[in-house]
Amino acid sequence: MKVSRRSWYLPCLIWGLLALPPLRHVLELSMITHMLVQLPLLAFLGWWLGQAFPEKLKRRIAPWNRWGISGMVLVVATVLYWMLPRALDAAISEPIFEIAKFIGIPLFIGTALSLSWFQLNYIARGVLMLEFWAMFMRLGWLYVVLPDRLCANYLLGEQRILGRALLIIGSIWAVIWTLRILFGVRWKKPKILASNPSLSEKN
Amino acid sequence: MRTLFLSTLLAIAGLTALWVGTDGGRAFTAETARRLEVREHPKPVPNWHLEDQNAKTLALSDWHGRYVVVDFIYTSCTSACLTLSSGMGNLQREFEKALDKDRLRLLSISFDPEKDTPERLRHHFSHFSGEGKYWVATRPTHVVEKKAILDFFKVTVIPDGMGGYTHTAGYHVINPQGRLVAIFGVEEYSKLQDYLTIALAEGKSNEG
Repeated sequence: MKVSRRSWYLPCLIWGLLALPPLRHVLELSMITHMLVQLPLLAFLGWWLGQAFPEKLKRRIAPWNRWGISGMVLVVATVLYWMLPRALDAAISEPIFEIAKFIGIPLFIGTALSLSWFQLNYIARGVLMLEFWAMFMRLGWLYVVLPDRLCANYLLGEQRILGRALLIIGSIWAVIWTLRILFGVRWKKPKILASNPSLSEKN
Repeated sequence: MRTLFLSTLLAIAGLTALWVGTDGGRAFTAETARRLEVREHPKPVPNWHLEDQNAKTLALSDWHGRYVVVDFIYTSCTSACLTLSSGMGNLQREFEKALDKDRLRLLSISFDPEKDTPERLRHHFSHFSGEGKYWVATRPTHVVEKKAILDFFKVTVIPDGMGGYTHTAGYHVINPQGRLVAIFGVEEYSKLQDYLTIALAEGKSNEG
């Protein structure tokens, strides 16, 4: 399969735009855009990039990432680290952490997810999704009720708004999920796997 | 086999990163990290020059040999600084003896030097019965110096969107050797009292 040049070129371009000071500063100005726009966007770009990986490279990675386990370990560890309020603060005040964020989140969360998620056992997938959802709700609740600021760089009011936003997103997610289960809608098999039987056979 | 090897390796690396990133599970926020760091690695405070409420210049090194409690304020503040300042006012009463004997000093530094002129600092003092003798309110005289001071103490100041600021609030203790040795949050006022009582008593016994 020929990978078009555009497919890896675009995410890198957007990544570059995000890393440039104007957009970076605007998104980091508020805790809400930092956590709910910039970080997810970075992870998404990594996912996109992962989809554009050449088959050769994917095949070389596959034996190191059977059932997507290695990739998910990387994803979980990276997510846990970037949930530390301290890490978020450091990303703003220390350039090294900012660089670590811009490289770590796309590659260790986004790309690792795209190379691993659909190889993952469906029970593991369900557990991870449930846990991720619970994390949203827990954090949301924590941010709403906590009397202290967690990040030195953000206001308490913003922390509360973020908390409510997380709870709302989590609730919407739960409703969609419930509907899906009730009406029996199943996950679609992604294109990369469908077009690449050598990968899916290893499941 | 390769997957097992790689995922174990990644898990170890991830846990190490989390362990190091939280100072061994002790500091999840930048504020706790700041307090912990000072406790474990006291660092010498550079000799800055500040302008006090009487428009006199004061060098921090003038206060060597004394304990100094530092807080950061701005006079138009309506929240944290009021708590901080009334705490300083309490210290002024409770540690009167130590202050009199020239063993303790209280220092408020304004991070809003453009607005906080010596007059305003004096006015601010009058609300907290600060007599200005042992408790000195100051402002940095230069923008560069202000930044250096805030960076050194790792005090973050952000606009609160209503014309004021939200900032790291706490009491910073400098020991007689001129090192920053402890930071107490506003909520840790009683810990600060205990700390000072012990520290001042120890100093006394050392003097014989």
